[in-house]
Amino acid sequence: MFPTLNRTLKAAAVALAATLLPLGVAVAQDVPQGGVLQLATNADPTLNPWAPGAVIESNLINTILFDQLTRYSPEDLRPVPALATDWSASEDGLTWTFNLREGVLWSDGEAFDAEDVAFTFNDVVLNADLGAQSASQFTSIDRVEIVDATTVDFVLNSPFSALPYYLASFAGIIPEHVLGDAENPLTVASFNKQNPVTTGPFMVDEFVPGSYVSLTPNPNHWAGEPNLDGVTFRIIADPNTQVAQALAGELDVVTRLTASLASGVEASPELEVLRQSQNLYYWISLNQNDERLTDVRVRQALLHALDREAMIEAVIEGYGQVSTGPVAPLLGALYEDQVATYPYDPERAGELLDEAGWVMGDDGIREKDGEDLVLSMPTGQFGYLVPATLLAQQYWEDIGVVADVQVIEWNAYIQQVVVNREYESTLAWWSQPPTADVAPYYSCDAVGSGNNIPNYCSEELDNLMNAGRRAITPEDQQAAYSEMQQYMAEELPYLYLWYPDILTAKRTTLEGFPEINASSAFQHAVDWYLND
Amino acid sequence: MTEPQALAKRRKLWRRIRRQPLGLTAFAVLMILILTVTLGPLAWPFDPDRANPLNNLAPPDGTHWLGTDELGRDVFARILAGGRVSLAVGIFSMLVGLTIGTAIGGSAGYFGGRTEAVLMRLVDVFMAIPAFFLILVIVTTFGNHPVTVIVTVGLGFWAQMARVAHAEFSRFRRHEFVEASRALGGSHPRIMLRHILPQVVPQATVLATLGVGWAILTEAALSYLGLGIQPPLASWGNMLQNAQQYLWLNPLIAIWPGLFIGLTVLAFNLLGNSLRDLLDPRGDS
Amino acid sequence: MTGYLIRRIAQGILVLFLVSIFTFFLINLAPGGPSSLVDFSSTAAEREARLARFELDRSPVERYGLWLTALVTRGDLGTSINQGLPVTDLLLQRLGTTLRLALGALALAVAFGVTLGILAGLHHNRWPDHVVSVISTLGMSIPNFWLGIVAIIVFSVNLGWLPASGSGPIGQRADLATSLRHLALPAGVLAFSLMPNVIRVTRAALLEVLRSDYVRTATAKGIRRRAVVLKHALRNALIPIVSIVGLITTVLFSGSVVIESVFGWPGLGRLAIEAANGRDYPVILGVTLLAGTVVVTVNLIVDLTYAVIDPRVRHD
Repeated sequence: MFPTLNRTLKAAAVALAATLLPLGVAVAQDVPQGGVLQLATNADPTLNPWAPGAVIESNLINTILFDQLTRYSPEDLRPVPALATDWSASEDGLTWTFNLREGVLWSDGEAFDAEDVAFTFNDVVLNADLGAQSASQFTSIDRVEIVDATTVDFVLNSPFSALPYYLASFAGIIPEHVLGDAENPLTVASFNKQNPVTTGPFMVDEFVPGSYVSLTPNPNHWAGEPNLDGVTFRIIADPNTQVAQALAGELDVVTRLTASLASGVEASPELEVLRQSQNLYYWISLNQNDERLTDVRVRQALLHALDREAMIEAVIEGYGQVSTGPVAPLLGALYEDQVATYPYDPERAGELLDEAGWVMGDDGIREKDGEDLVLSMPTGQFGYLVPATLLAQQYWEDIGVVADVQVIEWNAYIQQVVVNREYESTLAWWSQPPTADVAPYYSCDAVGSGNNIPNYCSEELDNLMNAGRRAITPEDQQAAYSEMQQYMAEELPYLYLWYPDILTAKRTTLEGFPEINASSAFQHAVDWYLND
Repeated sequence: MTEPQALAKRRKLWRRIRRQPLGLTAFAVLMILILTVTLGPLAWPFDPDRANPLNNLAPPDGTHWLGTDELGRDVFARILAGGRVSLAVGIFSMLVGLTIGTAIGGSAGYFGGRTEAVLMRLVDVFMAIPAFFLILVIVTTFGNHPVTVIVTVGLGFWAQMARVAHAEFSRFRRHEFVEASRALGGSHPRIMLRHILPQVVPQATVLATLGVGWAILTEAALSYLGLGIQPPLASWGNMLQNAQQYLWLNPLIAIWPGLFIGLTVLAFNLLGNSLRDLLDPRGDS
Repeated sequence: MTGYLIRRIAQGILVLFLVSIFTFFLINLAPGGPSSLVDFSSTAAEREARLARFELDRSPVERYGLWLTALVTRGDLGTSINQGLPVTDLLLQRLGTTLRLALGALALAVAFGVTLGILAGLHHNRWPDHVVSVISTLGMSIPNFWLGIVAIIVFSVNLGWLPASGSGPIGQRADLATSLRHLALPAGVLAFSLMPNVIRVTRAALLEVLRSDYVRTATAKGIRRRAVVLKHALRNALIPIVSIVGLITTVLFSGSVVIESVFGWPGLGRLAIEAANGRDYPVILGVTLLAGTVVVTVNLIVDLTYAVIDPRVRHD
């Protein structure tokens, strides 16, 4: 069965590549050329996708600069060719072969080849001493083997069917001929902070720290030169200022707009707000090291107690929808909506707590064996975690559960909650590539020191997730992940809150800008044009 | 001092006070503010922390005089609650700074010599770090528990007070009455507290009044940067920080806390200036 | 004079040394690690590898020793953990931007402050004095970040006259007009909160001089009041005004932390906040030391200037 399948998959990828690419080139010739796009980022970026700490301030600019093996289709976010033209998996799912695009040049004129891919993964991502950013997403990769100059094999230590998805997620290829000799390829200041060598449609023209990074077309780009004459990222820390500048016509795109500011932008005729999606969900984690919270009825009660519709209205101005699990509807067929749901129902919540032995005390606080149901709830100063936490606290108070909220500074929060796991309940979010492979956040391996913040461990769930990782065909994946989502909705390893819309404000004259999601939009910067 | 003399003196003082209409007004405004924020909650029906997500960012009306914030909490109730916090932080921070400053500056001025050299070098260190940098580092380190915020803001203020105390104490050190009481066997702390400290009171009162204003502003700035008093506890500063996100939806909720901070600090400053004029021996005004 | 100078410099260095010890050990007590090494989604293994990479697994005493040795022997302030650039480079870049803001604000504050102070002094206890006093008290009382927000709403968003943020235009070297347009709002707002100091000192100095014997004598001799004020009084009132510059420098640094945040001005203040929030130990130390150095130096210069313009001040 597998060989046929393998061929089918390969054929599909080639066909996709064939249909998409010429289209892109054809469009590029017809649309208006020229113009410089003004964007903003919140701090000095680090121009290396793997540098520790290269996070939101760097992600989008690095997405433009560093092409990846794959990128997300603007239609449905499936992985489509970028530096790799097609790929296939072996029968056991442990070897993935990627054919690389021929004739690709780095911005300094050197040829791109399999050495660069092998270097990026073997010497950087998989080198545990470097602690590369998001290396933990690639722990299934054992090594990358060079077959020939334009072919590489990804050799895995366990099946990882989502690999092509992850290779499109902030996984830019970096140049071996520039960084190969560096003692630490992730901290070369002349590269990260000045003039990186890249393969993307734009390359760095000038980086003035604290002020701006300007990009200019890369004459060597494999898909031809972009339509725009340049892209400039201004460094503006304050989101209000970013919006003020967009309204004043000084910025063309504002990404990661907060919901409260979006309504202000919507009034402007020159700007539009894109309600994009991302595989991102907010949750409340209940520490499973605390015996009171291992009772599933308690978890279900605490979720029933929350009016998530109202919370979405108040906290994110309605820009979002109630979540049913860790997979967003954006993923189409992989999203399972036939799962247990927990509508706002304080009465039901009360019944569940009664069943679990937590009965209402005279003081309005539930108790069991003389002990009040009080949960510590540290929350970090970041985005809208604080208001969301305060609302949850109030809803729980209504069913007789006390959340002892402590607002702490973000670094201290990470130390207390993520590193030390000193909490009983806490509210945060996970964001991941558009796949249903959520093992890093749920598996027993990740309890304690990994990303399994609630320390929830279930052999049954581990088996379900592994089935998904082994499933190569979309049908098998769908079946495995549907079961996984049903299990999670029933067991609630996390209390699922909402999928927020990812808001982007853009000038209406900017076109060729994929609307589906920000990653995809920035991976297709070559197609952007200004229709003034 | 005979009766008529004392009476005349009091009358004269009252005349001088009456020549400070701004100061009097400021005093009255402060009293009203303090009474409102302390007694107001008894009369005002809304709980400052009770959210109503279905009625958020509502404009002012007869029920919610100043409207509601992003979680649907009553803004006026939060202004009252925030006022208690901001005033308390202001006053206690000032007391912290005043106490430390007077103790250190006073000892330096009184004892002189090596004590003076060491203590005043410490003052120099603190004067060399711009107060806000210092506060930033301390709050980052020790977190933002209200007590930490109070102590930290006070630490931003003590060095200035120490300089004044130093100058005054060393001025009085050689005074006859000090030497006399020392000859009579008075202990150092006794002399410092009983004899010199009262001489510093006028200057300290002026500085303290102005210091409360400064402390309120500093707490507001810290909270604006997210480093001060933390929600759910309201302070005028963190209300302002919160409101800044909603400038486009409801700019008024950013205006109120700013106005109250401005009004309060203005009142403290006007009062401080009047006190300065009043206590100035040359009778500047 | 030379002896005095050497002693003052030695004292300054001692002060800065104490500042560095104080800051270093304080900031190392802060919970959490550098944000680039310890972010929300990094796993324990990643964190440990990164901390070891930056030698953050050593004890604070050891690290302070290494830092001080590098500073004293090579003048090296270390490398930013989060930004990967030498701290000295970061400081120099940011110092220029902050100085532009600071000098702009200082110029405005002195220009308006001295004018208003003189006005108030000359019309002592008449209505101009009261008006100036109100302006000055407002400057002390209104939170400058709030004023900044209001200014952005009015001048940038509603009127569209001035840019809302940033320190200069993109792509080309800034011409003077554009730079000034960017400087206008932040410097104006900052100047408004500095002005009261200048007004107060100017007014008090002028009043003192006007009461002095030689001005009375000059007036008695029939020299026109205007001439007396311009020729004699102002020159002597200048001395305390110089001293205020020293005081203002620390206020200026503190003010710039907040104002730079409001206006997205990429200066030392923003750097300080970014570094404190991101636990970037070498940068925090660098910024604090630099600010301390500036304050110490300015105070020294002020004292020396004093000696020059006022022959009564002698430094043995």
